[in-house]
Amino acid sequence: MATATYPPPPPYYRLYKDYLQDPNSAPDPPPPIEGTYLCFGANYTTSDVLPTLEEQGVRQLYSKGPNVDFKKELRSLNGELQLHVLELADILIERPSQYARRVEEISTVFKNLHHLLNSLRPHQARATLIHILELQIQRRKQAVEDIKKRREEARRLLNESLATLDGH
Amino acid sequence: MDIISQLQEQVNLIAHLAFNTVGTLQRDAPPNRLSPNYPEPPAHATEDGSNFSEQPKLMSTTLVKAAKQFDALVAALPISESGEEAQLKRISELQAENDAIGLELQKQLEAAEKELNQVQELFRQASDNCLNLKKPDDS
Repeated sequence: MATATYPPPPPYYRLYKDYLQDPNSAPDPPPPIEGTYLCFGANYTTSDVLPTLEEQGVRQLYSKGPNVDFKKELRSLNGELQLHVLELADILIERPSQYARRVEEISTVFKNLHHLLNSLRPHQARATLIHILELQIQRRKQAVEDIKKRREEARRLLNESLATLDGH
Repeated sequence: MDIISQLQEQVNLIAHLAFNTVGTLQRDAPPNRLSPNYPEPPAHATEDGSNFSEQPKLMSTTLVKAAKQFDALVAALPISESGEEAQLKRISELQAENDAIGLELQKQLEAAEKELNQVQELFRQASDNCLNLKKPDDS
């Protein structure tokens, strides 16, 4: 049996047949989802925040707290990474069976580096907003000065015209 | 490209170089004698016949250069010493100043508009007077 080219609408359209006369007769939409939800197998969250390293199951190597010295921490993580690469080379010579821990350490350093750089994004956004506001203030000040100058010029031209008329 | 994206790409480059450096070491390193009981391992001949120590040295140099480039990018980060609270406070101050200048701009615009209307009124009166002055000549 062949199916129709345009199948009939879902059965629940009947719930809205009296909507024009009585809007309350139709069911309400579902409430907004809070927290996390699953969509096509991937886990999503309604609050767009960067999860902390502990939430991702990664050990945090830099200092915790609201005020992080990003430059110092990035430099120290970079140095620690180079040290770990050297240690990996030594381990491969001395005790080859213990390479896994070193590789895990290197992976942890990389994850910390990327997390720290991503943490800079809000700071960057605020700095960009400050820059945009400063530009806007500058443009507005320029516009105010421009209007004042042109008003003064118009007033001067008008006075000259009146003087000319009085002269005649 | 902003500097944070450059830093992220630099981290990815360092990871790439570190991976390749260790991989090259594993691929090209000559075999090592594990115990005196084993016979001497055969002399290792690389496929291209080049010296073993050249390429790891080159890759290590590249890795260290990438790390130094990362440090340079970190030094170039335009992070102000102030934290999040100072940034938000600065944004509030700029917003208030922006609103004040906006009001000033609005006032200037209204005054300019009023003066424009006055000038147009004067011009209309002058043109009417000119037209009235022309009337006796026609009669």
